[in-house]
Amino acid sequence: MLRLVNLAVLRQAAALAVLLALWEAAGRAHLLNPLYMPSPSQIATALGELFGSGRIWPHLEATFVAALGGLAIGIVVGIVLGVAAALVPFLAELFEPVMTVLNAIPRVVLAPLFVIWMGVGLASKVALSFILVAVLIFFTVFGGIRQVDRRLIERVVTLGGSRWSLVRHVYLPSVAAWVLGSLKVAVGFAFTGAVVGEFVAASRGLGYLMSFAQSTFNCALMFAVIFLILVVVLLIFALAGRLEKYLLRWS
Amino acid sequence: MLRVRDLTISYGGEPVLERAELAVEDGRFVSLVGPSGSGKSSLLRAVIGLQRPLAGTVESGLGHSDIGILFQDDALLPWKTARDNVALGLVFQGSERRRALAQASLWLDRLGLGGLADRYPRHLSGGQRKRVALAQVLALTPKLLLMDEPFASLDAIVRARIIQEVAALVEREGISVLLVTHDLEEAISLSDTVYLLSRGPRARIIHEYSVTIPRPRDPVRARTHPAFAALYDKLWSDLSREVDDAGSPKAVA
Repeated sequence: MLRLVNLAVLRQAAALAVLLALWEAAGRAHLLNPLYMPSPSQIATALGELFGSGRIWPHLEATFVAALGGLAIGIVVGIVLGVAAALVPFLAELFEPVMTVLNAIPRVVLAPLFVIWMGVGLASKVALSFILVAVLIFFTVFGGIRQVDRRLIERVVTLGGSRWSLVRHVYLPSVAAWVLGSLKVAVGFAFTGAVVGEFVAASRGLGYLMSFAQSTFNCALMFAVIFLILVVVLLIFALAGRLEKYLLRWS
Repeated sequence: MLRVRDLTISYGGEPVLERAELAVEDGRFVSLVGPSGSGKSSLLRAVIGLQRPLAGTVESGLGHSDIGILFQDDALLPWKTARDNVALGLVFQGSERRRALAQASLWLDRLGLGGLADRYPRHLSGGQRKRVALAQVLALTPKLLLMDEPFASLDAIVRARIIQEVAALVEREGISVLLVTHDLEEAISLSDTVYLLSRGPRARIIHEYSVTIPRPRDPVRARTHPAFAALYDKLWSDLSREVDDAGSPKAVA
C-alpha cells in the first residue's frame, strides 16, 4: 500500500517536473512573453531576491499576524456567540438572522469599508480575517450544540453528573470537536481575509506585495508571491491537520 | 426494593402506559416483556427520573446512586478511554480521581477487558463496548440495576456470554434487577418474576408469572429445565394474543 502511494507521488512529481521544464523551455525559446508569463527560473530569481535581500520578512510577518490574529479572535468570538445562541433562545433570535446574512454574502466585500473605518494598518486586516472566521465558527458551534447526542447527556445524568459535569464532559468536548473539524477551512478563511485586506489598501503584507507587483507590471514578483502564499497555506493546513488528528484521536 | 404503583405515562396525548403496578423485591430479578410501543422503556425512565409520570408513584427507598441503568445504546463518551468512561460515575459520586481510575481498572479486569482500558470506544467491538458500559454501571455498586434491552444489539454468541456473566454477577452480589426486553427466552431464563404488558397505547400490565427454575442458575442451561418450556408456551400464547388483537374491540377499549 505504502509503495503504491509513493509511486503515485513519484509520478505526480515527475509530471510536475516535465510541465516546469516545458514551461522553462518555451520561455527560453521566446514563445512566451516574459511580461505576462515569466519562466520558472525568472520566478525563482524573484523569490530568491525577496529572501536574499530580507525584504520579504516584514511582509510575511504582517500577513501572519493579521491572519492568526483574526483566526484567534474569530474562533473565540464564534464559540462564545454560538454557545450563547444555543443556550439562550432570545439571543438565537437576535444573532441568527445577522449571521445568516453575513454568511450569505461574500464577506470580503467588507474590506474597503474596514479600511475606511480602521485605516490601512493591521486592524482592518485582522477585522476582515475575523469576520470571515467568526461567522463560520458561529454556525459550527450553534448547530453542533443543538445536535449534541441526547443519549450522552442522559448517560452522564444517570451516572450522577451535575450541570457542570454536562458542560465539562459532554458540551465542551463536543464543541472542541466541531471547531477542530472546521479548523482547516477557518485557516484558509483567515489567510484569505488578511491577503484580500492587504490587497485593497496596505503598506505591508503579501497582499500588498501583490498589489505592488500588479501596479508595476512585475509578473515574476506576482508569481513569486502567489507561490509563497500557496506554500504558507499548505504548511498551516498540514499543521492544522496534525493538530486535528492528535486532538481528535478518539474519533 | 422497588414498588411502582398506578403509574401512567403520557408524552402529551393518549397515555402510552396506564396504571402499571409492579414490584421488585430485594435480590430479585424481574423482567418486563411486551410488544413494541407498550411503554416498557418509559417505565424504566420514570423509575430513574428521566421521565415524569402523569400519575402514580415510584417508591424505592434508594438514593440516586443506588440505582444503575444500562441502556440499549452504550452511550459511552467517545472522547474518553474505556477506563475514563468507567471512572466517570465514581468521580461524580465524589471519589478522588486516582482512586476512581484504579477502581475502574479493577472493574474492567473483572469484565475481561484488562488490556483494553486505554482504548477509545470507537476502537472497541460492540461486545467490548457493552462490557465497558456494564463496568461503568457496576462500579457504582448499585443495589438496583435497570436494564433496557441492553443485549439486543449484540450477536448471538457474545450476547449469551455477557448474559451469563451478568446473571452470575447480580446473583453473587445480590443486586435487584428490572430488565426490559422483548426476548421471552431471555426474560424467563434470567428472571424470578416476569410481567407482561398489553399493547400500547394505554398499555397495562396484564400478567405476572413466577419462574420456578431453581437458583443458582445458568441462563443458558436454564433453557433445558422442564419449567422453562411450559412457561415459554404460556407466555408466548399470551403475548401472541396481545399482538394479534390489533384493532379488536378489546384492544381499543
